Formats: sequence, structure tokens, C-alpha cells
Amino acid sequence: MNLVLIAARNLLRNKMRTVLTILGASVAILAFVMLRTVLSAWSTAADYSAKDRIATRHKVSFVISMPKNYIDQIRLVPGVKQATYMNWFGGKNPNKPEQFFATLAVDPTTIFDVMDEIVLTPADRQHWLEDKKGAVIGDVLAKTLGLKVGDKFTLQGSIYPGDWEFNIDGIYSAKRKSVDRSTFFFHWSYMNDSLPESRKDQIGWITSRIDDPGKGADISAAIDRIFDEKDVQTATMSERAMNLGFMGMISSLLKALDVISIIILLIMMMILGNTIAMGVRERTREYGVLRAIGFSPRDVGTFIVGEAAFIGLLSGVVGLALSVPIVELGLGRWLEENMGAWFPYFRIDAQTYVMGLGLAIGLALVASVIPARRASRLLVTDALRRVA
Amino acid sequence: MEPSIVELKGITKTFQRGKEPIVVLDGLTLEIPTGSFEALMGPSGSGKSTLLNLIAGLDRPTQGSAVVAGANLVSMSDGELAKFRARHIGFIFQAYNLLPVLTAIENVELPLLLTNLSKTERRERAQTALRVVGLEERMKHYPRQLSGGQEQRVAIARAIVNDPTIIVADEPTGDLDRKAADDILNLLERLNKEFKKTILMVTHDPHAAERAGVTRKLDKGQLQ
Ligand SMILES: Nc1ncnc2c1ncn2[C@@H]1O[C@H](COP(=O)(O)OP(=O)(O)O)[C@@H](O)[C@H]1O
Ligand SMILES: [Mg+2]
Repeated sequence: MNLVLIAARNLLRNKMRTVLTILGASVAILAFVMLRTVLSAWSTAADYSAKDRIATRHKVSFVISMPKNYIDQIRLVPGVKQATYMNWFGGKNPNKPEQFFATLAVDPTTIFDVMDEIVLTPADRQHWLEDKKGAVIGDVLAKTLGLKVGDKFTLQGSIYPGDWEFNIDGIYSAKRKSVDRSTFFFHWSYMNDSLPESRKDQIGWITSRIDDPGKGADISAAIDRIFDEKDVQTATMSERAMNLGFMGMISSLLKALDVISIIILLIMMMILGNTIAMGVRERTREYGVLRAIGFSPRDVGTFIVGEAAFIGLLSGVVGLALSVPIVELGLGRWLEENMGAWFPYFRIDAQTYVMGLGLAIGLALVASVIPARRASRLLVTDALRRVA
Repeated sequence: MEPSIVELKGITKTFQRGKEPIVVLDGLTLEIPTGSFEALMGPSGSGKSTLLNLIAGLDRPTQGSAVVAGANLVSMSDGELAKFRARHIGFIFQAYNLLPVLTAIENVELPLLLTNLSKTERRERAQTALRVVGLEERMKHYPRQLSGGQEQRVAIARAIVNDPTIIVADEPTGDLDRKAADDILNLLERLNKEFKKTILMVTHDPHAAERAGVTRKLDKGQLQ
């Protein structure tokens, strides 16, 4: 027997209160884990950006397109190994327009040289190159849409209206988990050829691979200088900056999520603090007895802090135990399948587990500091006079 | 003549109630010889518990000198007082004050956590103390599974387990019926006679006071 055991047993004294507290705190941990995972899913996407890739877009915004011939000039810039261009097509599944996946009109001859994290068999690639109405889609999307190689599929255009029919020529997977496996790639020329004259030969952005990641800034500047005097100027940046730019649109949302997760943690701390303070108040007399027997104020403090650590630990463990099925299997799988472009990989990372458990214990300890100090400073005679 | 184990001289204790100081003990002097069993009586609020607390090193006098078991309590720090209590004092309270989450034997073992005895030694000692109070069979029981008298006997086992120099008991039979009270008094008497423990017992009950060798009366801050 020791003080820690007594602290643990104290938790069983008011089982209902302990259960409700742990439940409340663990729901807070679950919410925290969810928000952290949203944030980390977004930032990993940016962190995994290739270091040897730069992206060029219209100087004003990535939603405005550029003349297609810019690609030829960029390919000539020293340091650029390969460049490819694409347009955001914005196509939908006509049967399920609420499904979200990226549809990109790309240059089939260069896209996979630049996006080398995408894995496609050489046979499928060759087949696709020769089929102007062909499309290559990610394996996750293939599963969602129930498609296999050889099937036909129609996209409903939004930015480019009409029904667009495709042959599924290949299904890609990826070398890294951070890659969106729900993208729909198809021939840029198929789209371009069907457009009215006024909209032809416009591209959304250009992605280039460079031979030296260290020279990214210089090469980007060199590219932008070429178009400085043209009607349409460009902004070239690292792929990471580009991805962060996409996220920039939602950066205030990210900040809000950060604030919300802090608020959730504070609420959790209050729940824990309240339970601890209630327990301490009820047990004042017992602390007086411990002190009379010869235990030090510090022992009494340790005793209370120990009890708090137990509640925190249990809350953290229960919270994480709830998080795994809910976030990884439920929400995560749904997001990966339905919003793969935003959340290609929605899983709780190790850091979040550690943080969740650490914060549950840590904040319980913090919440116990005031009750513990108050209890350890009690005069023994006062504590003993207290009617239970 | 045994040497005194408690020597109080000119003890004054005042409490602050709001702005007014109230004098509870007023220049009191007391000597208790080693090995005696004394009862302390007096009207409610006369300061019996206050006096007991001073002797037990739970509180300090406002004025005066207090030497208990050779230790000068007035000059000791809080930490030293805690050690003094752990080493020399066995407490018995009116309300038993057992920890409800601990079994009888665990409650008895509690004071031994402050010693460096091994786990098995602690268990053995606690078991011996429970045997002395006649509750060895109940050692796995929780306080709520025991009667008031049994709880108080467990509390006595806890008070004697570390072999204290003095046992202080603040109205130990106050919550008990006659029969259970007699059991407790018999036990205290035995601890005094057989185990040579010095016992100081606060009580309201003249029956209880009769068991003690000496009865002192506290009134108006003075011993009569
Ligand atoms: N910590 C305290 N603060 C203020 N007044 C106290 C304190 N402890 C005791 N008293 C007062 O001192 C007096 C004596 O109390 P106490 O020693 O408990 O009496 P008894 O045990 O004889 O009934 C009472 O008037 C009580 O209100
Ligand atoms: Mg009293």
C-alpha cells in the first residue's frame, strides 16, 4: 500500500462523478484529436511538397489562367529539367455531384515525369498516351466510383460546361501516403479542342522540376522576369508555397480551429479542476488525519496531484481509445474517400497521440495545483475540526 | 518518581475571532508523569482539544514552554513537528477518522508508510496491532463494514502501531454506546497497564474518567 494507491481508490469513491468527469474530459480529447488531425492533414500535404518543384501561376491569382505558350519559354530556363502544365477542370460525377475529387486536364507526355510520386504501370501509361479520351484515376477514386480499367465514365463540366466522356485507361497509386489518390487526370488537348476559340490555349498553372532545390528562388525569379513585360505576368514559387497558398484561402479557418482546440482544452481543464476541487473539499478532514499522523504538507499535495494524474491518464486513454475508431476508421476514411483532394491522408499522427495523452495528464496536473496547494497549506487543527 | 513526559509551563493560547482575540488557555502549567493514564475533563469549549493539540504537536502555544517526550515543541519547525508526531504520538479521535477507501489493516499500516520498514514488516506490525485490539479477523474489512466500536478499535490499532510514546485520545467514546465505550476503555487501560503507554484522554463522561488514574479539570483556561 502507498499514497498512490489511496489516490487511485479515491477515484472509485464517487464512481458516477469519476465516470462523468472522465467521459467529459475524454470527449474533449477526442475533439482535440480531430482538430489536430485536420490541421496536421493539411500541413503534411504542404510539408510533403517536393523540394525540387516550383509552380508558376498568374501573378494575380491561381484561378486566372495564362497563355499556353508560356510553357515553352519556361522549359528553356536554365535549371528547369522538365515542366508540365494543367488546368483545374472542376468536373463532377453526374450521379453524385456532391462527391468531391480533383479533375485535372494535364499534359500526358510530361505529367508523370514531373509528378514522379505517382505510380502507373508503363503499359497503362503508354495506353493512355495514345487515347485522347483516356483518363488516369487514383485507386481510391476508382474504388469510390466503382471503376476499373476499360470502363467508361462521364464527367459533368462546371468551369467547362457539358458532358465529357472518358475511357478509364489506368489506375495509379502513389509512393507516399500524402499524395491524393483521388485525382482524375485526362488529356488537356481533349478539353482544349472542344473549347470555343476565345477560351482555347489557356493553362491554369505550370509545375517545373529543377535540377537544384537550392536554386529554387533564383530560378523562380528568372521565370517571372521573362514575363515581366508581357500582358500576363506570373508568380513562381516553391510547390510548398503554392500548396500553402491554396490553404491560405482557409488560413483563417485554420486559426479558428487552433483557437477552438485551445478552448476545448480549457473546458477540459475546468471539468477536471472542478472534480478535483470537489474531492479535495470533501476529504479535508482526511488530509488533517494524514497530517496528524505525521505526513507532510507535501505528501498531502502529492496525494492530490497523484489523484489528478490518474484522472488525466484515464481521460487521455479513453479519449484516444474513442479517437481511433471515430477519427481513423470513421471520419478519416470518409474524408479520404470523399474529400481526398483536401485530405489525402487523414490519420492521427504519433505526435497527436502523444500530445493528447500528455495534455490530458498535464492539464489535470495543472488543474490540481490550486486544490493541492490549498489542501497542503491547511492548518491541521482546522482540517480536523472540519465536519465531513 | 517517574520523570515527566509532558512539561507545560505558562501556556497561553489565544485564537483570533474576527478582530477579538479569545484566550482559551491562560498561563496553564501541566506535568504528566511517564506511564500514567490521565483524563482531562471540562465544559464544552473550555479548550480541552486545544490543550491536547498543543501536547500532540499539532499546534503551537501563543506563549509558554512545552516539552514533550524530551522535545521542545515551541522551537520546532512544522517539518520537525510532523516528525515528532510520527515518532511519538498516537492519535485517537472521537470520529475514528479512518480512511474509508482503505481496509482495516491498510488503515493501521498507514503511519508505517513514514518509516523505512519493509512491506512485510509493515504488514506484520499492522497485524499485531489489530490482534491487540481483537480485530485480526476483520483486517480485510472496510470501515463501512464495521461497527462504531470496531472502527474505534481499528483507530486505536493505528494509534499504537508505531509504538508511540504518548497516546492522545480526544473523546474516544463520545460516539459510542455504553458497551462499546467500555470495550474501548478496557483496551486503553490494558495499553496503559500491559504496554506501559502514557495516555491522555479528553472526555465528558465521568465513567470514562474513572478508569484513568488521574482526572484533571480544565476551566477558564486553567487546570483546577
Ligand atoms: N482554530 C481555531 N480558531 C478559532 N477559535 C478556535 C480554534 N480552535 C478552537 N477555538 C475556540 O477555542 C475554544 C476552545 O475550543 P476547544 O479546544 O475545541 O474546546 P473543547 O475541546 O474543550 O470543547 C472554543 O471557543 C473554540 O471556538
Ligand atoms: Mg473538543
